Amino acid sequence: MNSFDVVVVGAGAVGTSVAYHLTKKGFEVALVERGDIASGTSSHCDAVALICDKKPGIDTQMGYASIQVFKELAKEFSYDFEFHQPGSLYVCETDQEYEVAADYVKQQQADGYAMRMVDPYEMQEMEPYLAKDLVGGIWTEPDSSMSPYKLCFAFVEEAKKLGLKVFDHHTVQGIKLNEKGSVEGVITDRGTIKTKRVVNCGGPWARELGKMVGLDIPIFPRKGTILISEKTARVCNQKVHEFGYMLSKFEDINFKRNVSELVEKHNVAFNIEPTKADNFLLGGNREYKGFDINTEIEVMRAIAERGIRFFPIISEINMIRAYSGVRPYCEGHLPIVSEVEEIPGYFIAAGHEGDGISLSGITGRMVAQIMAGEETDFDISKLNFSRFKGQTFADDMAE
Amino acid sequence: MSQNYDDDMLVCRCEEITVGEIREAIRQGARDVTGIKRRTRAGMGLCQGRTCEKLVQAILRQELCNAPEEISAATPRPPVRPITFGALGRGEVE
Ligand SMILES: Cc1cc2nc3c(=O)[nH]c(=O)nc-3n(C[C@H](O)[C@H](O)[C@H](O)COP(=O)(O)OP(=O)(O)OC[C@H]3O[C@@H](n4cnc5c(N)ncnc54)[C@H](O)[C@@H]3O)c2cc1C
Repeated sequence: MNSFDVVVVGAGAVGTSVAYHLTKKGFEVALVERGDIASGTSSHCDAVALICDKKPGIDTQMGYASIQVFKELAKEFSYDFEFHQPGSLYVCETDQEYEVAADYVKQQQADGYAMRMVDPYEMQEMEPYLAKDLVGGIWTEPDSSMSPYKLCFAFVEEAKKLGLKVFDHHTVQGIKLNEKGSVEGVITDRGTIKTKRVVNCGGPWARELGKMVGLDIPIFPRKGTILISEKTARVCNQKVHEFGYMLSKFEDINFKRNVSELVEKHNVAFNIEPTKADNFLLGGNREYKGFDINTEIEVMRAIAERGIRFFPIISEINMIRAYSGVRPYCEGHLPIVSEVEEIPGYFIAAGHEGDGISLSGITGRMVAQIMAGEETDFDISKLNFSRFKGQTFADDMAE
Repeated sequence: MSQNYDDDMLVCRCEEITVGEIREAIRQGARDVTGIKRRTRAGMGLCQGRTCEKLVQAILRQELCNAPEEISAATPRPPVRPITFGALGRGEVE
């Protein structure tokens, strides 16, 4: 192992995008991953890049910019990551939800995003199998979808052509600092790599990689489960989710749904997504349960129950598999994308929670800009790690 | 496993994946059954790899020259048999 300009740790959507964009900028890059490419959360998730589930402001701005990055890369790359742009639909169960939704759409429209309210008739036209008693919804035109792990493979294969070196099945055990406290190398179980810059793209494990140099990074695992159907005739044409999903994602949005105890207990919100393999993925929930990714039968039950409420037709369709993953939840909901002041050469690009696939495109682009000393596409001072200065977090903080 | 498989031989019938495609996945870095699955979809169809997993392991062993016990199988995921969303949602499962 020799020396590199930059070592990127973690080969999920974020790390592979960061590695690709840095290599493309002309840096000599090593990508280190303890398992296979995409063996962390980026293969235990859905695959939509949405703006409709982001808060107005920088969250949406990044989401939109990222979709533009994917659009360009889909044309450039010879590796197909199945990018397509079918739009997405939010559905409202009650008038109260509809009002909150309409308010939200107004704000997004004012910022120039192509979102609009749709009535039940138009919804039935878009999604004929949708339950008939819904009061309306939001349609978001730019919303996109892709294969999350193919996205990682695409970034790696394309970057390899430009000189990226991949060290898969190498576990990072420490970060070497010099006497001035700057990064000097990355210690793995199979040797040390010399470098002056390291990027922590550890997703839900970013906190551990921070502890190696005494940093208190407030990123915690937030579990989610997905059910996979058998191959079927088309049930839905795009990502469809209940507006109540916003409630399960952001604790500060206030409205109560009329749902069963089981659905409430596991913070389940309906969403369905067609795949290129002629089946669909049904989700999902958000819970803090540590790093355990065993799939619990009770959660599966609640997800199925909620799914049938919105798409009664799936009642007779088979589920063939289920899986769970842990989202990298960051305190305050925004990811961290910045250098760490206290440790020159230590960068963090992690904590994208339920949007890591969605935001990976723009995140990689911005890390490359930061490292090259260029101005970023837009102001990302809100993503700086320094916002947590002086704060300490317990390991079970999120629970 | 000294047998040499032809590149165009079909491995996974559900998803129609050939030996050649499995070899390409290994070239890209797949080291186990899960890595093959994600790169090719082999084992992701209706039978969930019950038919092809052994063969995929044999090809992995051949290409990587590993001892048999070093190739891990796919992660078993519930359910063992398909179940309708209706039955699951009504709790007709233990
Ligand atoms: C059920 C579910 C549904 C989701 N749906 C969506 C969606 O529709 N759209 C969306 O945008 N996002 C979605 N997400 C979120 C998304 O999956 C994550 O935000 C994203 O995968 C995070 O990517 P990452 O690269 O930061 O982390 P990961 O993919 O987890 O990558 C981190 C990598 O770091 C490696 N690593 C950790 N420690 C070390 C070490 N010491 N040495 C070497 N390597 C190490 C890990 O092995 C891992 O591969 C969903 C998540 C879940 C759970």
